[in-house]
Amino acid sequence: MWTRVGDVDRMFNTMDLLRTRMNRLFTDYDNFYGDDFGWRAADGTPRTNLYDKGNQLEIQAEVPGMTKDDLNIKIQGNYLEISGTRKSDAPEGYKVHRAEREAATFTRSFTLPSEIDAEKVNASLSDGILSLTLPKIEAAKPKQVSIS
Amino acid sequence: MSEKTDIIKRETTVPEYSSQIPAIRPVVDIYENEDELLLFADMPGVAKENISVTVDNGKLVISGVRNLHRPGTVTQEEFSDVKFHRTFSVPQTIDVAKVNAEMKNGVLRLHLPKSEAAKPRQIKIA
Repeated sequence: MWTRVGDVDRMFNTMDLLRTRMNRLFTDYDNFYGDDFGWRAADGTPRTNLYDKGNQLEIQAEVPGMTKDDLNIKIQGNYLEISGTRKSDAPEGYKVHRAEREAATFTRSFTLPSEIDAEKVNASLSDGILSLTLPKIEAAKPKQVSIS
Repeated sequence: MSEKTDIIKRETTVPEYSSQIPAIRPVVDIYENEDELLLFADMPGVAKENISVTVDNGKLVISGVRNLHRPGTVTQEEFSDVKFHRTFSVPQTIDVAKVNAEMKNGVLRLHLPKSEAAKPRQIKIA
């Protein structure tokens, strides 16, 4: 009976293969129908990513069409607030065919997972993505413990 | 037995990376005046080198890939790598040779000038 295990194994592998292929099929299908709902998430604020680098946190936010003068960042302890205004860039004297990009103001606040050294925060803007580097305070940094 | 299994397994691990990045349609504004059509598209995080704009046979395709760098472990992620892709029909009156595109702060600006023949003309009564 055990000589047949190989066949069963192979059958399951083939079924796995079929499942992977089916999954990919749906990804491809999705690809053609994906939609972007603009730069704002459902609550009207920019979408953000938060990364933990050990010694520092890093935040990225989608802020297309905004310059550094349009954005405002406030930090206190582990509280971070990003606010901004996206001005309308509609040109004068043109007929509007389609207006999907909205002009708006927003404020989004975060409670960060650790306290931040506000003095050393660094913010940069490139290609419509705002990046904030937020170094943690000494007490919040990971410590190496050596075994005595 | 092992040989056949290997073949099947190998096939499943072949990465088809291109199909794994989701594609989305960027939001756009389109304006028109007597001289040109103007298109603004939000494509945050797409570098200038990663954008392609093609006009072919009355079809305008804008496309751009966003490759974010991930500096550490993810705590929260609301946006990620995507391919922005959108197709438009443009009138044949567009002067394809003079189309000009610029990228600023994650917004693609596309100027599509109308050809001379398509511009409105004032006709004087002799």
